[in-house]
Amino acid sequence: MTTSDLYVVLDAEDRVSYVSAGLQDELGRWVGHVLWDHLPGAREVYGPCFDAARASGETVAQLVYYSGRVKRLTAIPAQDGLAVHFERLATLDVTTLGTLAESLERIAEALGAPEPVRHDSRARASLRALP
Amino acid sequence: MAVTVQQSPSVVLDADYRIVEVGPSAEGGFGPLAGKNLWECFPGSESLFRPYYDKARRTGAVEEFVQFYNGYVTRVRAEPRGDDLAVWWDKLHVIDGLTLTSLEDSIARTIAVIDDEHSSALRLQARGSLRLIAGGA
Repeated sequence: MTTSDLYVVLDAEDRVSYVSAGLQDELGRWVGHVLWDHLPGAREVYGPCFDAARASGETVAQLVYYSGRVKRLTAIPAQDGLAVHFERLATLDVTTLGTLAESLERIAEALGAPEPVRHDSRARASLRALP
Repeated sequence: MAVTVQQSPSVVLDADYRIVEVGPSAEGGFGPLAGKNLWECFPGSESLFRPYYDKARRTGAVEEFVQFYNGYVTRVRAEPRGDDLAVWWDKLHVIDGLTLTSLEDSIARTIAVIDDEHSSALRLQARGSLRLIAGGA
């Protein structure tokens, strides 16, 4: 699954207005709901990235950890909302102390990974037209 | 510190490690698993728990230990009952991976709980040894 398969579009109040096909099973039922109502404690983690993208009008990418996963968030502002792409980089594995230690290493490594190249600005013309 | 022994064990396992009884305290998680093999239901758990269970069966004595599995630090008590094994557990801590802050705190707590339990086990072992020495003196 590519980055483009995993994204949501938020309105100005962080209400989910669109969920991409790749996230339908997980988040499809969130359409019309405020994102934070489903993600306790996430506003402090994701919010700064969203705010920076909206304030600057530019694409902003940020590495974040939330709920056992390191993700690369890419927030792309446009007239019809804020498209937020999720790329999952590492997952917490609490099965045993061994898997926990290994996954913590992967998480630390992922959080230290360099930022990717910014998205093609042409993609901002219409968020729903993204592949 | 010993496991809180309730009236009913959390689960009872037969000689093949099938779940043959589920106590009220474990009904939510284990109720639907009755009749199934424990190790098949919980991948990766056999190497962590079975050595203690096998020892309890072999010696006929109660085994108590602390183990980490599936995000939980648990104190476990295994008591042989004929061919079966009655198992009780107390959850001591659960990993909270919601945010990096909660994860860091939780990992520190996990380490502290495990260290504390191991220290307790060592203290008990030392007391037992001292009693033996005192008795032999």
